[in-house]
Amino acid sequence: MKKWQQRVRSLLINSFALPSDVILELPRITVIGQIHVYIENHKGLEIYSDTELKLKVNKGYVQITGNAFVLRMMLPEEILLEGTITDIKFIPS
Amino acid sequence: MKQVQGTFITGYVTILIRGHYPELFFQKCTNHGITVWNIKKINNEACEGNMKLSDVKEVRKLIRKTHYKLSFIQKKGYPFHYKRFIRKKPLLFGLIISLFFIFFLSNIIWDIRISGVPKDIEEKIEKQLEQYGIHKGAWIFSIDSPNSIQQELIKDVPELLWVGVSQKGTTFMLEGVEKLVVKEEKPLEPRNLIASKKGVISNIYVAKGLPMVSVNDYVEPGDMLVSGKIGENEIEQEEKDDEGKEMNYDYVAAEGDITAKTWYEVNVTVPFHYNYEELTGRKEKKYHLKFGDFQLPIWGFQAPEFENIHYDPYEKPIHFFKWKLPVGFVESTLSEKQVFQGKRTKEEAIQVGVEQAKSELLLGLGPEAKILTEKVLHESIEDGKVNLSIYITVEEEIATAQPINQGD
Repeated sequence: MKKWQQRVRSLLINSFALPSDVILELPRITVIGQIHVYIENHKGLEIYSDTELKLKVNKGYVQITGNAFVLRMMLPEEILLEGTITDIKFIPS
Repeated sequence: MKQVQGTFITGYVTILIRGHYPELFFQKCTNHGITVWNIKKINNEACEGNMKLSDVKEVRKLIRKTHYKLSFIQKKGYPFHYKRFIRKKPLLFGLIISLFFIFFLSNIIWDIRISGVPKDIEEKIEKQLEQYGIHKGAWIFSIDSPNSIQQELIKDVPELLWVGVSQKGTTFMLEGVEKLVVKEEKPLEPRNLIASKKGVISNIYVAKGLPMVSVNDYVEPGDMLVSGKIGENEIEQEEKDDEGKEMNYDYVAAEGDITAKTWYEVNVTVPFHYNYEELTGRKEKKYHLKFGDFQLPIWGFQAPEFENIHYDPYEKPIHFFKWKLPVGFVESTLSEKQVFQGKRTKEEAIQVGVEQAKSELLLGLGPEAKILTEKVLHESIEDGKVNLSIYITVEEEIATAQPINQGD
């Protein structure tokens, strides 16, 4: 069943050119230089501190490290992070 | 950031959350649809963030179910400013008073300008306006519309042909056009024209009457110039009446211009030495408040540095609404003057004397007279002065009216 679902999804992406983040429920991460990271489609905040932000996403986590972090904005499923970013890491669960 | 725009108007608060993993509380907020921004982690146990004023109730509800401690750090935005302002009673009071004053003062007539009519009619209009209740300091609401004032003014001031009344803010502008009241001239009484001065006739123009003199005649005062007695029925009368003794005359008011050359001998004295004053341009201003006869200096206490002073005071009365206060404001200008002593030569003195004699004579004779020639008859020097006797020939009007006594 799950395999069938996945096949349909990749078909949709390839033949109808639908955005992959919507179809596959993956996070869309927009990075502006070193200063901004904009994460959409996340599933919740796990850890937030001055130097680290860890977000739950579909099948795993996204870990962003750096310093002087401020959450400029927080909406359901959207986060705008400001600070000096050094790493963006995907951690599968 | 669209969500954050406009939060200053609706108001927002900065809250501080304390507890384990305080950032998770913000996550909880967003899950409930509450927008939070500018989240900063201060330390492991504390985190601050902004949220809308309208969401505070919701947040309070949420916090009750958790172990977090909530405190408000800052309140920002218009609602808080408004509350703070309302609490300052004297400021509010002052604002209301000032608004009231602006309203009050802008509804008062501060100036009435009348243009286009001579002074006497201006005064009449002013008096009439006073009766309608329009004067400086009057309440604008209590005044009729400019249109009706216009009509009433035309009715009440007969000298006005038209008047335009307009109100520009706090100024009343009146523009009037004077009606020229032409009085019908009364038919003149029969009269002769006689000479008032001796002279040689230079020009005769007779509109009505019978000229009795001709050009280049010498006339003495009292000589008949134009007769108002016309014997137009003379011939007919003579034909009918053989005796011709009782002649029927027509009497008219003689009219005409008779100009003649007249002579005057004028004596003038011109000194060689004379004084005149000139302002140097240096001046000082002094200001006084005047209570009755007492003047209180406000500005300019020191005596000016210069000695010869031309003193020029100017008093401005102070008004309170329409009443003149017994206090006045005096601005006086002290200008330095210099006294010069001039010296004239004999020729200059004679010239000055002739000019002086001419202007004095013309002043006495009126604008119609014309000076033809002048000649210095005699000059003598005495005590540093020149005595001149000048002979002046003038062309002027010499006719005056003399009523005819018809003898009945």
